[in-house]
Amino acid sequence: MNPPVLAGKTVRLRPLRPDDLVLVQRWFNDPAVRYWLHQSDRPDATSETVRNHFWRPVEEGRAVAWLIETGETPVGTLRLLEIDPHHGRAELAISIGEPDQWGRGLGTDAIQQALGFAFHDLGLRRVSLITDADNARGIRCYEKCGFVREGLLRAHRLRHGQPLDMLTMAVLKEDWLRAYA
Amino acid sequence: MRLRPVQERDLPQFVRWLQDRELTRWLAAIGDPPSLEEEYDWWHDKRADPDSILWAIDSPEGRLVGTVELRLTMRAERAEMGIAIHDKAQWNKGLGTDAARLVVDYAFEELNLNRVELTTDEENARAIRCYEKVGFVREGLLRQHRLVDGVFGNTLIMGIVRDDWMPLDRDSED
Repeated sequence: MNPPVLAGKTVRLRPLRPDDLVLVQRWFNDPAVRYWLHQSDRPDATSETVRNHFWRPVEEGRAVAWLIETGETPVGTLRLLEIDPHHGRAELAISIGEPDQWGRGLGTDAIQQALGFAFHDLGLRRVSLITDADNARGIRCYEKCGFVREGLLRAHRLRHGQPLDMLTMAVLKEDWLRAYA
Repeated sequence: MRLRPVQERDLPQFVRWLQDRELTRWLAAIGDPPSLEEEYDWWHDKRADPDSILWAIDSPEGRLVGTVELRLTMRAERAEMGIAIHDKAQWNKGLGTDAARLVVDYAFEELNLNRVELTTDEENARAIRCYEKVGFVREGLLRQHRLVDGVFGNTLIMGIVRDDWMPLDRDSED
């Protein structure tokens, strides 16, 4: 599915295109960015692994993906994954690939646009995510967007070979409507 | 109780059991009852999937009663367990608990995993009791996660990590 362009206060989300994948690959291969990604222990991305892991779900209609831009500058990606119309739910994945753009609220702005799309246009009622339990900046951003902590998954992934706890969070449509309608 | 690979000849029995809403309302894959052909495709896909280990559960008398599966995420040294005793006449006999214990042991001992997790319907008290006996701990509650017969229900997520784990034969060794 090709999502619409979404405009926030500071960012613009436009559908991801195959020619963006070279950027996605560069972002993944930045150790400062990859540190926080679920796949941090994978080897460097190649154009082939990016195509398989990142692009194929979009191509097969199992995910929607946007490129996040501020001004004319691409800064990251936002995806809705595992979209399940029966249960009315999806998972959200965001990464700001330019570390010098961190801490400016771009992710918060982007997520708020994507949640509006998920609840109003896709008709979902639940959007969830998991994040590293020590990712304080990420968690603060998600909480600003209405996500609530639902559980702590112990030793859910490895970072540099060490087990790491992850937080599972979700926002329900009813919470979203109360906060932003 | 014994675990063994699922065979093609088991499939018609699964299809018969999966007609029963009293069973399927608890399953993560809550769709319409499968046809034999769909069940065959499911089995075929599982056999081809390197990240899935699927066993049939036989009762002590050697009768098929259900299945248990590990879905592996090896790069995170983690697996998700899915278990079902399909034969309702065999519920409440501890077969699921025994099978889950064996599989958790296998995951830590043979596969060297760090974590086994599962999700279950918050209202599935019998299953939750079984998982707690095996050593799974409640880690979170996913709100309005599943639509079952028109009602949204919560899903419990439970996990057991290597530090929680008591191997089956430890008592006899000490």
